[in-house]
Amino acid sequence: MKWVLRIAGGFAALLLIAVTVLFALGHRANAGRVRVSAELNASPEQIWPWLNTSDKLKQWITWLVEIRQDQPGTRVGTKQVWVMRDQNSGGQLVEMEGTFTEYQPPARESVHITSAGMFDGQQTYSIEDLGGGRARLDIDGRYHYSQWFAALLEPLITPAAEKKLVRDMARLKSLVESEAIQKGEKNGTARSAF
Amino acid sequence: MKPPLLARALLAAVAGEAEAECVAGDLEEEFGELSRNRCWYVSQVMRSLWPLLLLRVRSGELSRLLLGAVLGAALPLLLMDRLWRLVYSQIPLKDGVDRAPEFLAVNLLALCVSAAISGSHTRSMRPAFVKAVFACAAAGATLAASAGSTPAAYALLVLLLAPAGSMFGCLLRRFT
Repeated sequence: MKWVLRIAGGFAALLLIAVTVLFALGHRANAGRVRVSAELNASPEQIWPWLNTSDKLKQWITWLVEIRQDQPGTRVGTKQVWVMRDQNSGGQLVEMEGTFTEYQPPARESVHITSAGMFDGQQTYSIEDLGGGRARLDIDGRYHYSQWFAALLEPLITPAAEKKLVRDMARLKSLVESEAIQKGEKNGTARSAF
Repeated sequence: MKPPLLARALLAAVAGEAEAECVAGDLEEEFGELSRNRCWYVSQVMRSLWPLLLLRVRSGELSRLLLGAVLGAALPLLLMDRLWRLVYSQIPLKDGVDRAPEFLAVNLLALCVSAAISGSHTRSMRPAFVKAVFACAAAGATLAASAGSTPAAYALLVLLLAPAGSMFGCLLRRFT
């Protein structure tokens, strides 16, 4: 019995320490903030379609299955539903609703994203023209989790989300740059034909 | 001539604490007195394994060891897998089943502690060995059933640390 009590006490102490650490970390200044930046060898005009065209988005955002939009053309107030496949819930399809709060092509757009009962947040995409066919893309997101347990686990969720975004950004960079090279080659061929 | 070592070890592992001494004693007596050959000894052990195993299951000893091994090795892995599934499913733009190395390291730590605690409930070496084998099997089954990815090095460490942790717990109990 003494051993059982010791073990139970040890477990309870470990759990309490873990919860206290997570709670404290959850109150840091940049809690829930996901930020990724990359320089791409492409102009803002070449990058912009990759942030707004359904077929292109599905190529670089993993697990994105479908995008539905309430109206043709995008402007402030346009609503989109993103359908994601959640491999961690047995491949279940999860819907997220996004509303454009800022839309300035080809430089900046902001989307307010909500997923019922899970989270809500704001994601901003900014493209800065660096000149010479180069641009910097910044993706900045800030999320709040609705469920208390998810809110407690935020210090674990946010770094994992940032890693996912880094991988997605790397995929986007590769796709955008290879498309820019292809277009450059085509233009070069057309010019030489003239 | 001595009876085959492997057959003796198998008998010791399968038979319970009390039964192993008794059956091994009878067999060795006949083996020595009637000058039986090694094949006879092995065949007798093989014929005794199933009834001894049933006897042990009925006595509840094996069930207790199995339960201890499952609680010590499978439960922490299962709980950690559930926790990481929840964390990954909360990622706003979702993520796959590849787990970060630090999460896998936490799994291994939880496994070691839990297996050692489970092993510390066993005082003698024979049941501790059986529990370690069960812990390895339970950890392997949990790995196969987990949603997260299992890199080869991680799977190997799990299969080694589950029995090692269990044996370490038993040894710690014996020598403290």
